[in-house]
Amino acid sequence: MASPGPALQTSGLIACYERDLPIVRGIDLAVAPGEFVAILGPNGAGKSTFVKAIAGVVPVFAGTVTLAGHDITNTPLHLRSGKGLGFVPQTENIFTSLSIAENLQLAADILPKHLRALRIAKIFAMFPDLASRPGLKAGQLSGGQRQMLAVARALIVEPQVLILDEPSAGLSPKIVGSVFAMLKDINATGVTVVLVEQNVKAALSVADRGVILVEGQIRHAGPAKELTSDPVLAELYLGAQPQRKLGS
Amino acid sequence: MNAQIIMDGLIAGSMIGLGAVGITLTYSILRFANFAHGDMISWAAYFALAISTALGTLVPGLSQPLGPFSFGWSLPVGLLTAIICTGLLALLVDWLLFARLRQRGGAVIILVMAGFGAALTLRSFLEFVFTSKPAYFTNALQIARPLFAGAHATPDQLLGLGIAVVLVVLVHLALTRTPAGRAMRAVSENQALAGLAGVNVAKTIRVAWVFGAGLAAVAGVMAGLLVQIRPHMGHDLLLPLFAAAILGGIGSVPGAMIAGLIIGLAEAFCVQFIGAEWRAAVSFIVLVAILLLWPQGLFGKKTT
Repeated sequence: MASPGPALQTSGLIACYERDLPIVRGIDLAVAPGEFVAILGPNGAGKSTFVKAIAGVVPVFAGTVTLAGHDITNTPLHLRSGKGLGFVPQTENIFTSLSIAENLQLAADILPKHLRALRIAKIFAMFPDLASRPGLKAGQLSGGQRQMLAVARALIVEPQVLILDEPSAGLSPKIVGSVFAMLKDINATGVTVVLVEQNVKAALSVADRGVILVEGQIRHAGPAKELTSDPVLAELYLGAQPQRKLGS
Repeated sequence: MNAQIIMDGLIAGSMIGLGAVGITLTYSILRFANFAHGDMISWAAYFALAISTALGTLVPGLSQPLGPFSFGWSLPVGLLTAIICTGLLALLVDWLLFARLRQRGGAVIILVMAGFGAALTLRSFLEFVFTSKPAYFTNALQIARPLFAGAHATPDQLLGLGIAVVLVVLVHLALTRTPAGRAMRAVSENQALAGLAGVNVAKTIRVAWVFGAGLAAVAGVMAGLLVQIRPHMGHDLLLPLFAAAILGGIGSVPGAMIAGLIIGLAEAFCVQFIGAEWRAAVSFIVLVAILLLWPQGLFGKKTT
């Protein structure tokens, strides 16, 4: 029996804010269904721009993005969540003037009417912290709770692929641990997860595979466990102290 | 204190409030001060005048006053038609002008200037077709009836006040309890995130235009019924409308209505105790004072 195609695939993806200044420069990446991939790399490597281009926030100038075999390169932004792509931006990822329940209702509004309340109830069962005060304005939540709500909002449509842009940014180490444990739990339910992260150690501890970007291109990729123990990669791209030299 | 001043202020304030609700909706979603909103009010009044006059001419019975009011069925029909026509006019102006500037990433100041241009064009067109001569929905005379503590008001005035309050409650409920309202609030806060959440931003902007234009239509017909219809009627209301929208807090529907009533009351007190020639200055003073002392307004969000 043939194996299923990638849940998410980019081919020759070139993306930029200005046509003459490409930030993402021809990325080919295939993510298998149910896989947890961490996108890593130094500052300015194009990690965030890459996932924003996949999500439709940044314009794509060349290449394609396919979701479960369907080309979504030119799909309007607002139709992508309905096609099974969830994206959680790094900042401003919730509607602070709306209540917790309204944030979820807004995302559920694209679903058929009979599914909306069911999905919100399911999400509240997953996130009891949010369920305990649905009427609270989202702007009053703490950093960790905001990330939780942002992920919950993206999960309402039961996406095939969930992409997160640096969910640990600005969070305390303790909260980062719980956010990453939550992502691992979500991945265990079959959701493909693509995570952009500066916190290399934490990301590789939960990911199946790591992909390292440098200057808008994939420089290296491999199983997360191998990347964790590769000091040269750590030195070159992740800023850690080397323990051995190249070729030694 | 003279109760009549309060009654006059509330009646004028209800018209200002309705217009300000339209301003606050479009401002919070489109992110620019649309100075053509006042001329939407004028156009709505003339749409209603044209339809009600035509209906009254074709079917004279439709002009017969309804109960205690000064107008017949031709005016409510004219109002409904005006709401639809003003909504379509707003969409046309957006399609011809603002949408193209948004697509090109036009700066706010360019949108504001485009709004000034649209306002001038719309106003000039009305003057060209209808002239500057004041017009009236009805020639029927109404006697103000005693209400309380010596205050008097005509049935038309009380109807206008009632319609304004009911409409504000309905708009508030629509914004807080319906998917379209949630989408509008989401777009007003963060357009990109709203798109990621599945909201069709372009469609939501169109809905906001129609909402704002519909409210402008009601304000225009009310102003035409209670005062008179002139091509400059909406333009003359702009300052109090913006003062009320800012005093209420941009984005707040109840805030805009309450602020409209406050501005109306302030104007009424000014006319009584200072002089009618200072009436227009009241809105200006309120606007400057709020911007200096309390820029987020009564119910607006503090910006960081």
